[in-house]
Amino acid sequence: MKKIILFLIIASLILAGFAGCSGDKGKTLTLEDLKDITVVSRESGSGTRGAFVELTGVEVKNADGTKVDQTTQEAVIANKTDVVLQQISGNQSAIGYISAGSLNDTVKALQIDGVDPTAANIAAGKYALARPFFIAVKDTNNAVANDFIDFILSAEGQEVVSKSYIAIKSDAAKFVSKMPEGKIVVAGSSSVTPLMEKLKEAYEKVNPKVTIEIQQSDSTAGITAVVEGTCNIGMASRALKDTELAKGITPTEIAKDGIAVIVNTKNPLKSVTKDQLAGIYKGEVKTWTELK
Amino acid sequence: MKKQKILERLMSIVFFITATISIVSVILILLFIVINSIPALKEIGIVQFITGKTWAPANIPASFGLLPMILGSLYVTAGAVLIGVPLGLFTAVFMARFCPEKLYKVLKPLIDLLAGIPSIVYGFFGLVFIVPLIRNTLGGTGDSILAASILLGIMILPTIIGLSEAAIRAVPQSYYEGALSLGATHERAVFTILLPAAKSGIFASVILGIGRAIGETMAVVMVAGNQARIPTGILNGVRTMTSNIVIEMGYAADLHRGALIASGLVLFVFILILNIAFSLMNKKKGA
Repeated sequence: MKKIILFLIIASLILAGFAGCSGDKGKTLTLEDLKDITVVSRESGSGTRGAFVELTGVEVKNADGTKVDQTTQEAVIANKTDVVLQQISGNQSAIGYISAGSLNDTVKALQIDGVDPTAANIAAGKYALARPFFIAVKDTNNAVANDFIDFILSAEGQEVVSKSYIAIKSDAAKFVSKMPEGKIVVAGSSSVTPLMEKLKEAYEKVNPKVTIEIQQSDSTAGITAVVEGTCNIGMASRALKDTELAKGITPTEIAKDGIAVIVNTKNPLKSVTKDQLAGIYKGEVKTWTELK
Repeated sequence: MKKQKILERLMSIVFFITATISIVSVILILLFIVINSIPALKEIGIVQFITGKTWAPANIPASFGLLPMILGSLYVTAGAVLIGVPLGLFTAVFMARFCPEKLYKVLKPLIDLLAGIPSIVYGFFGLVFIVPLIRNTLGGTGDSILAASILLGIMILPTIIGLSEAAIRAVPQSYYEGALSLGATHERAVFTILLPAAKSGIFASVILGIGRAIGETMAVVMVAGNQARIPTGILNGVRTMTSNIVIEMGYAADLHRGALIASGLVLFVFILILNIAFSLMNKKKGA
């Protein structure tokens, strides 16, 4: 008798467990079914978050130089792209964002203002949540800097780019180094820095005679440093301003960074506008029905 | 004879060195934490750091208030104790005094196995099982204090069961027999005589369980939601001190990095208090 009771208890526990994860699989739901929006964000300091809040206007920059990231405090914080994907694929009411290069089938990418986050759209500049990565030089005769830039724009360099970002040239030529010697300093945007580190690593394998020093600050500081001659190559994660170009520097686009906004595959929504997205991440838009 | 003496002398030096290494590592870690957090604490201000409610390192100017994380750690740990201690204690009683021999041979290795599962696996289990379960039954996002508490409650079970069981078994058999001879039933003897007699060992197991829960990181990061604000309910997400460090360490520089190391110092102080409480309890037992 005791054994039967024990068995029944265990069986019901197991069944209760399974009931928890079943639910209506595969069925597309309506926005009413989704109820409250679960906002998933990356941690502050993450480059993806930095780009997202900047591009959507969730981050407010004041004239006095102060910056406030207004991402709602109720946002679930995931510290890796994989965890964001897991959160979104496991929660039908969730919304999140990841680098466009990391998209997969477990989630659905939303259109922003009616444009899909494909590599082609990002490269063509049609997709709103994308930004260019620029480098700029003042002295166009520095052999080391020129060789390094040639490498970045070559097939090998663009392959490094396409591992985590969108390459801007799909038909670049193979790289032939002129093997210059010397040292250059690259400074600027912290968003471009991780890419630049990888490019440096790949380039130093081809031409071990150079030393490349990378200094991380921000886009504006990087461009200022080039203008003042304290570094050879400046990095910026935005298009250069006319006032900056007027100071006699030569910009080159090296890559594009796109951010995909993702929802659960059961979510019927196809497209959001940038303003709606900002509303969601500031915590002003709280339910899915408000997005109709 | 002389050879043996030299050998003994040599071995005692070896043992002394190994003991020194472990003590020196503790001191080095403490020194590292303290030295690296002092500049940040000076700049932010200790009171502001511990009582500040806003953690926004990316803002300009940044603000570093650790209070939400301190409370987060306390809430999650308290939840884990509420869930893990009764479950673990009763399991220990069952294992020590009620379990049939055959079943014990199966259960004991299974409980030991629970201690060997890597915390990231616990975290993944929580993420794909506990979190959706809470979301579907109780609502909210699922990433919550409750999810983290349940998960940690399970994770501290082996510590509590193992130590409590040993404590109960250590009570002299004569206590139990005396109770029976005075007319107590088996259940009554266990719960009114054996358990109170094993009290100090059981408390020790709870304190070690708390230590494990407050220090756990990977599993908690995956199920707690990690919002850096003071939670208002058990279905709210929460960020613990350990999560705060692991989430932001990869990007942190300068003051932000110092602030994270200072969170480590606060955590260290918490663990220190726990350990002191633990040794005080052991002293009392000896007296």
